Amino acid sequence: MEVSHKRRRKLREALTGYAFVLPALVLFAVLGVYTVGYGLALSFARWNGFSADWLWVGLGNYRDLLYRDKTLSPIVLDAAANTAVVMIAVPLLAVVAGLPVALALNRITTLRTTLRTVFFLPYVTTGIAVFYAWTYVLQPEGSLNAILKALGLGTLAQPQGFLGNPATALPTLIAVLAWSSIPVAILLYLTGLQSIDPSVLDAARVDGATGLRTVTAVIWPLLRPITAAVILLNLRDALQGFQMFLVMTNGGPGGHTNVLGLQAYNLAFFSELRPTLGLASALGWLLFVVALILVAVNVRVLKSRT
Amino acid sequence: MKARVLAYVILGVYTIISVYPFAWMVSGAFKDSAEVLRGGNLIPENPTFDTFARTWGELDFLRYFGNSLIVTGGTTIGVLVIYSLASYAFAVLKFPGRKAIYTGFIALLFVPGITVLLPVVILQGELGVLGTHFGVILPFVNGTAPLSILLLTNGFRSVPAELRESARCDGASELRTFLSIYLPVCRPALVTIALLTAVPTWNEYVLTRVSLSDPATYTLPLGLQSLTATTSPQYNVIMAASLIIVIPVIVLFVLLQRYFINGLVGAVKG
Repeated sequence: MEVSHKRRRKLREALTGYAFVLPALVLFAVLGVYTVGYGLALSFARWNGFSADWLWVGLGNYRDLLYRDKTLSPIVLDAAANTAVVMIAVPLLAVVAGLPVALALNRITTLRTTLRTVFFLPYVTTGIAVFYAWTYVLQPEGSLNAILKALGLGTLAQPQGFLGNPATALPTLIAVLAWSSIPVAILLYLTGLQSIDPSVLDAARVDGATGLRTVTAVIWPLLRPITAAVILLNLRDALQGFQMFLVMTNGGPGGHTNVLGLQAYNLAFFSELRPTLGLASALGWLLFVVALILVAVNVRVLKSRT
Repeated sequence: MKARVLAYVILGVYTIISVYPFAWMVSGAFKDSAEVLRGGNLIPENPTFDTFARTWGELDFLRYFGNSLIVTGGTTIGVLVIYSLASYAFAVLKFPGRKAIYTGFIALLFVPGITVLLPVVILQGELGVLGTHFGVILPFVNGTAPLSILLLTNGFRSVPAELRESARCDGASELRTFLSIYLPVCRPALVTIALLTAVPTWNEYVLTRVSLSDPATYTLPLGLQSLTATTSPQYNVIMAASLIIVIPVIVLFVLLQRYFINGLVGAVKG
């Protein structure tokens, strides 16, 4: 009697569990599993989005993207090179700017909370509105040119605007991307700094370590896990994010700011009736493979930490 | 002492960098059309509220604002209801396959948005919801599944099990226990999830752009984008529209920033 009662309770709990998970699972099945399967299948086919049938081409799309198509593959490889530059520069800037600002914030007491709020605005507001504000500042008649001239640095001003000159467009976008991702780095470093045991820093001081020496010999090694997190977070964003590129330059001038995400987006939605949907899908999956490699590295780094 | 001065210099410089585009956004929004073309100073010569009022009224930004509220509100409510239920099951209830399903959801975190964007739009067409707000809410909700489940499951797990046992002994049903004990205890985590869902949805521009084609359904970012499609973009109007998008986000953030920050730190650690 007692046993069957227990079993019934267990069954009831399991059924309740399934009922609770069901809405999420239905959504997941339709929008997760179905779209992933559909996208994967499409990456092996040729289709313009309107014709009734798909033409199966096996790995053709992947080969076209990487080397076979003589007009498309150079564009894709250029976009890959630009993406790689972004993936190196943005994480680097996040660390190089994030740590000093966090150290400075950690040193003061009076304005710390207020400044943390101010520094965080670029992250929470990131989106089309802020991208247009930057475009406004960076245009030929924009304030950045005006400020440079007023400071006597007129040679650095860009008569075509910072986004109009092929040489400055990508570095400028990288700077704006870093501007919106440094806040998270500051925040993570600040939490890391606050969790360092003060006695460790006191010991360093007693041993005669100066400020800079304390940072390089004591703080930097202790914060290494946070540096790893900052880098990986930014690598992922740099690989997948393309909203800013879409809004501010749409890849221009002359493809100098084209990145892989943007290329896939344009292949998928802005190629009129050309059968590029399979190519777009294949490019999306190539991005997925890179993302998976990053995850594998991520897991490795996290394991080596403990 | 020297280090202290250096700290203030760094912070001062970084404050300027942080607020720089916002300062010009406000400045541009209050300039008249002639002055904004010339460039001009940060402080407008003849500050005018007209651009702002015109953008809000004539250019349909009231409607876009409403649409954005519908999409953002619908997504946030959907996320809170669906994933708090699921996370409760993952954290508290025992059932076969629990671990596998949980892992499946978290794995979704690693699929780049662009990889499934096209299939999502095709699916919207097949389901007959392409171009509707409901049609974009569904993928937005599903897109936040990994993060929401991760944070909420952790939150529910930290509730002492005795609370549930005593409630169950008093004859409370599972749903009742969830609603009247777990949800109130985990309110901070729920606010965090609401914020981390609402803000990116408010700013979203990639899926909505290819999904919503009728201007009557436009959200604020689409409305803003349509302003620049004209031959010569007027930056005072564009900056006024940008301000309309940014201000609600800043207000929410300033009021609720502690939830924001806890959530971000939790998401990275988790």
